[in-house]
Order: sequence, then C-alpha cells, then structure tokens
Amino acid sequence: MKKSNIAMLLVFLALIPLTLFLGEKLPGKGYYITGVLIIAELMLPFFMMFEKRRPQARELVVIAVMCTIAIIGRVAIPIPHFKAAYAVIMLTGIAFGPETGFIVGAITAFASNFFYGQGAYMPWQMMAYGAGGMLSGFVFLNNKVPRKPWIMAVFGFLSVILWIGPLLDTSHIFLMMPEINFSSVTASLASGFPVNVSQGVCTALMMFLLGKPLLEKLDRIKLKYGMMEDENGV
Amino acid sequence: MREDAFSKFHPAVNLIFFIGAMCFGVLLQHPVYLLAGMFASGVYYFLLNGRKGIKAIAGMIPLFIFITLFNPIVNTRGITVLFSLFGRPYTLEALIYGVAVAAIFVVMLLWFGCYGKVLTGDKFTCLFSNIMPSIALLLVMVFRMIPNFVRKAKQIIAARSSVGKGTEASASIKDKLTSGMSVIGVLTSWALEGSIVTGDSMRARGYGTAKRTSFMVYRMTKADWVLIVIMLAMLGVVIGFAASGCMYAEFLPERNIAPIEGVNIIAFITYLGFLLIPTFLHIKEVIQWNISRYGI
Repeated sequence: MKKSNIAMLLVFLALIPLTLFLGEKLPGKGYYITGVLIIAELMLPFFMMFEKRRPQARELVVIAVMCTIAIIGRVAIPIPHFKAAYAVIMLTGIAFGPETGFIVGAITAFASNFFYGQGAYMPWQMMAYGAGGMLSGFVFLNNKVPRKPWIMAVFGFLSVILWIGPLLDTSHIFLMMPEINFSSVTASLASGFPVNVSQGVCTALMMFLLGKPLLEKLDRIKLKYGMMEDENGV
Repeated sequence: MREDAFSKFHPAVNLIFFIGAMCFGVLLQHPVYLLAGMFASGVYYFLLNGRKGIKAIAGMIPLFIFITLFNPIVNTRGITVLFSLFGRPYTLEALIYGVAVAAIFVVMLLWFGCYGKVLTGDKFTCLFSNIMPSIALLLVMVFRMIPNFVRKAKQIIAARSSVGKGTEASASIKDKLTSGMSVIGVLTSWALEGSIVTGDSMRARGYGTAKRTSFMVYRMTKADWVLIVIMLAMLGVVIGFAASGCMYAEFLPERNIAPIEGVNIIAFITYLGFLLIPTFLHIKEVIQWNISRYGI
C-alpha cells in the first residue's frame, strides 16, 4: 500500500469518532443516519484508492463480469432462496486479491439493489459483501492457505455465519430496533442466525462444487493475459 | 411506462429531495410529522406504482403491527404497565413508541421504494460520473451485462436440456445444483473471454488516455435551479424550526410531545409541502395535460 493511501485511510478513520460524537446529538432515530455515514466513511477510501490507481480497461471489464455473475447466479440455479452471490464474491477475492474482492462485493450489492429493488439496508449490504470479498482475499493471499475445495467450503460457511451475516444483521439494529442496547443487539443477531446458517450451507456447497473450476478459469485468464499481477494494477 | 413529472427533473434535484425526505423521515418522531411523512410517501408511492403500489402498501401493515407489538418486549421502560410478559412489564408508553418506530420504518420503506423508481441506474451513474469515473463506468457495464447474461444463461440452459442434461422442476436438488454450477462455469468462461475482447477494444479506442467525458441526457435547466432553491429554502425553514424544539417528541419513560400551535403550524405546513413536491408536480402535469386535451 502506498503512503498516500495510508494517510487517506487515517483521515477517514479519524472522521468516524467525530461522526459518532455529532450523531449522538441527533434526535429520533438519528442513529440510522450516523450508521450510514460511518459505513460511507469506511468504504469511501477503498473506492478512492480504486479510482486513484486508474484501473485498466481489461480489469474493469473483468470486475464487471464477476459482479454480474454474482448478481444473476440465481438464474442459473433453479432452487428458491439459494444465494450464489457470496460464493462468487469470495472466489473473486481469492483469485484477484482483497482490493478487487472488496470492489466486486460492494458493487454487486449496490447494483443488485437497482435490479431487485432498493432497500434501506443497502449500505449495510455493500459493507458486508465488500468485507466478505476482502476477507477471502486476505485469507487466501499468496497461497498461504491451500485452495482445496473442502478448505474453501469450511471458510465459506464460517465467513457467512461469523462475518458477512452478522455485519448484515447490524442493519436490523439500526432500522427496526427502537433503541440500541444490549438486548436489541443480541435480538437482532439471534434473529438473523438461522438465515445465516442456511446461507452458509449454500455458500459452502457452492465453494465446494464451483470453487476449483471457477478459480481455474480466473487463474487461466490471469495467466493468459497477464492481468492484475502487479499490486498497483500497472 | 410514462415517466412521472418529478422524474423528468435533473437527477441532482431528485437526490436532494430524497436525502431531505429520508433524513427527516428518520429524525422526526413527532406523531403529527410521522403522519405527514406516511401520507406523502404513501401517495407518491401509489402514483409511481399504481395498483401494485396499493398491494405493496397493504403488505406493510403486518410488518407495522409486528414492530409495534415487538417494541415493548425489548423495551420495558414506561410508567403505565398494561400486563407482564415473561416476567417483564409490557408498558403502554413502549407500545406507543413502537407505533412511532414502526411508522418510521414504513415511511423509510416507502421512500426507498419511490427512490428506486425515480433515481434509476442511469441517473445515478450520471450524477457520479465526474466524481468517481471508474466506479460509474463499472456500474454502467454491470447494468448492461445483467440482461445480456440472463439471456446467455437461458441459452446455455436450453442447449444443455436439448442434449439431455436439462433439469426439470422435478429434478432432485443435487441434480439442480450440479447443473447450475456447470451453467455458471460455462457462463463465466464465455463472459471472461468476451470481457478481454471488450477491454482491448476499449483500450484501442483510447480508454484511459485522457479524461473520460460522459454522455449526459440530463442538463440543469432553469426549472431545475428554481426547484432546488425552493427545496433548499423549505428545508432551511424546517431545520430552523426543528432547532427551536417544536418538533420534539419523547415517549419513554413518559409521553412528552410538543404541541403544534401558533407559528409552529408554519413549520408543519412547510414540511408537508416539501414532502408533497413530487405529488404536486404530478397532479399539475395531469391537469395541464387534460386542459390541453380539451383545447383540441
């Protein structure tokens, strides 16, 4: 990471306590606004980093392709409530690294809101999906963790129930709960748990079955056209 | 579908309206202001969605009741105890507060529904193409690829079923799953090869050599500026009055709601007027249309 990028991250991180301090003074359910602002402050530096390194045309198109596949995955699998998005985002993160994983996750969430209808939880979705892509990118960076199907399946399951799911469920705290206290937080997280487990099983299945073939395809594209090899995107 | 009058304004105008409406939608929990928000968002939602809108609004009623009844379970503050549930008091104040929370939630759902109809993908990318060109371009490409890929996926599925590898509705989940994975795999291979061609073609045409300009359908006109000034002025009035505390409402542990009287009525009328801008523009257009039709 470049020095200027680190400086930018620090500026945005410094903005968060300030937002919390000012948000405290807002009346009513002002904490929804505070929540949205904090998510924006967390995500903006990554988008700005992406803009600053001026991504190449090839890279942009490949990212767009992966986002689209994550969004329309459910067309290919005729099973109701089966979500393909998490697995595709994670696999992209594994293949192209944490930065691209984040962008693919966040854009997938954002664009699917235009496709399936806007919701007030959209910022949380962007954050959770982006964080999911980023985490998988970090875990499997430089082949430290072997990319075996069952390892990826376990990783997919755990990251949905422990990382993406809870991040997504925090939106209930801000949207549906009358106030933020310990019981409302635990109630929100507990109410999301069964859904997270079922999504986690779906993701694990997808990672097990799709993981190897999809990664081979992505690696082949990378090798064939020499893409995304330099960390700075050339 | 005929576009409604407010959607024809510049995306920036649309965005300012929705930011204002949504921020005040979550900030104000005064019952009268909540009613105004529910009324304005409900009417505009109906104008945008027609009969389907009524069904969607009716579908929100169970949610409204659920959130209302749920609040006193997690929130036990309040003076008037109605009865006790699981050994915890179920209070009247918390129930009333539940109504307010549910109203805020429903108003947000409705405003977001309107937002999705008005600020479509192309308008959003138009707004952000100058600030974040790569992200905006990425979004445009995704919006274009979605219908394209759905078509391709259906072709792949059809081709597979013609060689006896199709999955009917009666197929087992395992078959559906493995077949779905193959479809995604084929789709990915096809799309990635195509994406390289697209990318090289973009580069050959000079992508990245200079600042990218965008195709803009929307231009700021005089009417847009006038509406922006009116909206900002109205928001300023509402914020000014809100700072004076006339929209204050507290439910827990005791009800304490600021009365709406005297000059505070101005604040309420301004707020309602602001929220009804899209509805007003819609009605104005319908009347104008009918007048000019009778003129023929």
